Amino acid sequence: MKRIKGSFKYIFLSIASLISVFPFIWMVIGATNTATDIIKGKMTPGLEAVNNVKMLLEMVDLPLVLWNSAKIAIISTVLLLLIASLAGYGFEIYRSKIKDKVYGGLLLTMMIPFAALMIPLFRMFTKMGLLDSHTAVILPTIATVFMIFFFRQNTKSFNRELIQAARVDGLKEYQTFFYIYVPTMKSTYAAAGIIAFMTSWNNFLWPLIILQTDGKKTITLVISSLSSAYFPEYGVIMVAIVIATLPTILIFFLLQKRFVEGMLGSVK
Amino acid sequence: MKKLCSMLVMIVLITALVGCGESADKKVDSSAADEGKITIWAWDPNFNIAIMEQAKEIYLKDNPKVEIEIVDYAKGDLEQKLHTNLASGTTEGLPDIVLIEDYNAQKYLQSYPGSFEDLTGKLKHSDFAPYKVGLMTLDEKVYGVPFDSGATGFYYRTDYLEQAGYSAADLENITWDQYIEIGKNVLDKTGKHMLALDANDGGLMRVMMNSAGSWYFDESGKLNVANNKAIQESARIYKELFDSGIAKPTSGWGEWVGALNTGDVASVTTGVWITGSVKAEASQSGLWAVAPTPRLDLPGAVNASNLGGSSWYVLSSSKSTKTAVDFLNTIYGSNVDFYQDILVNRGAVGSYIPSQSGSAYTKEDEYFGGQKVYSDFSEWMQKIPSISYGLYTYEADAAIFGVMPEIYNGGSIEEALKKAEEQVKSQMQ
Repeated sequence: MKRIKGSFKYIFLSIASLISVFPFIWMVIGATNTATDIIKGKMTPGLEAVNNVKMLLEMVDLPLVLWNSAKIAIISTVLLLLIASLAGYGFEIYRSKIKDKVYGGLLLTMMIPFAALMIPLFRMFTKMGLLDSHTAVILPTIATVFMIFFFRQNTKSFNRELIQAARVDGLKEYQTFFYIYVPTMKSTYAAAGIIAFMTSWNNFLWPLIILQTDGKKTITLVISSLSSAYFPEYGVIMVAIVIATLPTILIFFLLQKRFVEGMLGSVK
Repeated sequence: MKKLCSMLVMIVLITALVGCGESADKKVDSSAADEGKITIWAWDPNFNIAIMEQAKEIYLKDNPKVEIEIVDYAKGDLEQKLHTNLASGTTEGLPDIVLIEDYNAQKYLQSYPGSFEDLTGKLKHSDFAPYKVGLMTLDEKVYGVPFDSGATGFYYRTDYLEQAGYSAADLENITWDQYIEIGKNVLDKTGKHMLALDANDGGLMRVMMNSAGSWYFDESGKLNVANNKAIQESARIYKELFDSGIAKPTSGWGEWVGALNTGDVASVTTGVWITGSVKAEASQSGLWAVAPTPRLDLPGAVNASNLGGSSWYVLSSSKSTKTAVDFLNTIYGSNVDFYQDILVNRGAVGSYIPSQSGSAYTKEDEYFGGQKVYSDFSEWMQKIPSISYGLYTYEADAAIFGVMPEIYNGGSIEEALKKAEEQVKSQMQ
């Protein structure tokens, strides 16, 4: 009876994992077929991969677009990790009477949808003269409430005696943070880093609104414009999506172990 | 000391931000002062963008000092950008020329008055298909330059129809009820469905309504759904198409076009822009033909309609309006050869009537068994009833297709449409 139950579990898990992996398989197969083959539902690999890549390179300045995305994602991830971890650390470690009220207020702002902020943000950045600049894409992403919350939660399991010991040893506050806290919280940084990188890499609405010229566009904007057509070149779109997915997959696999630890909130 | 330090850091940061802003501001101003530069926003790299690139090339030959930048966005993205920009009240960042889908034209013109350049008299609008000019007119002023047409046709597989005993003459100027009868015979004799239809897609209903000179809104923009004979009749035909078994249910664009390419269905009634997708399947060359769009059995209904299509608009905030208007006028408003080129290379049917007697329009097309399809489309285009799309086409469309399941299940058409009308009303307030 136990065996039957066990094998049911495996059959169910196999089907579930097949379903979740299917879009990726289809994406890769699609990248090797023509648009008409994809429309007709062909599920086997074709011979059009090179052609599709050629067409994509003709339609889009791919290296530039990937560079734009990478630059934005890396800068905003680094700044976000620094700012959010400083804030999370500060909220958890330091004592202040109004700390929790400020924190509560911050959490409340998570409820405001981005669509409501878009027009004021657009006005603000236009007035600052930052329209069509990557700085304008990066700035609103470098301090998110969710990340501050994430760091504060993880800091709860951080051993405070370490800080006291560091103070006694004569370390300055910023030294305690950079030499004691940061190395101890590696897993948290890794998990937050993956989330921040992926969010920034996939960011769509704000770059769409604030960027104006083709030379500044990111990969997500380019994929979106490729798919809006009377006759969409699905094969070319699939190639672009495969290329756009690779960096996030790569980073995830590199940091997978740390990511799981970080999400569990462990401190090493 | 600490406080002093943090104050200093703050001051440095603020100065950096303000400085950054000032330098970029200057940059924007200097480029805007350049009279000869125009920026254009459009969608579809293989169609609108490619055509605009061609227009740019022709114009720059005679006007080498002008600089033209064409920026490509997805259609929905472009609309989102335009709305945000116009709603924010800042004109910085807006392009000089923008492509707008005809269904949304009035929404932009009425929601953002003064934002678009009045082109009345600056261009010979009488040279364009009248229904297109009607869509971009507000208070007797014409705001756009008509571009591609969505004139519709009834594309059919000659082999399947012949097998069922029909010749081209039998398919001329029919009603939708006759179409259903033909479809039943095709299904009987060939086992093929007559058409592929998404039960939640309003495209075909818009084709039916437009052919009867009607829309979700009347000429004054008032909602006209529950008691609209054309909508009631279209809803009845939708149900009949499924009940008779001649419609193959599909979901989404890919499956719908796939049904044509795989030879699963015998016909499709839609805009001329489908030609590229039909022709993409080379093995079916010579097996297709196009007949006039079936009409509703209502007084005044004609065998011509429209689905989709878009037009060019000049923004009033542009610093180079003169150049922008001249560019559109020189290419889209008078260059007959240009229209021949884009028809041959991109399959684009423009709505500029003088171009339609050109060689490309009168050429026989082997794919369609030697039929002069584009000359036929030009003829139908001029018969399309001129209507006003109002401001909320997509909202009305969504509301009606929200209640269509009730109709498919045998519910009262009048009751269902009343519900849909109430819903649109609440959205309009």
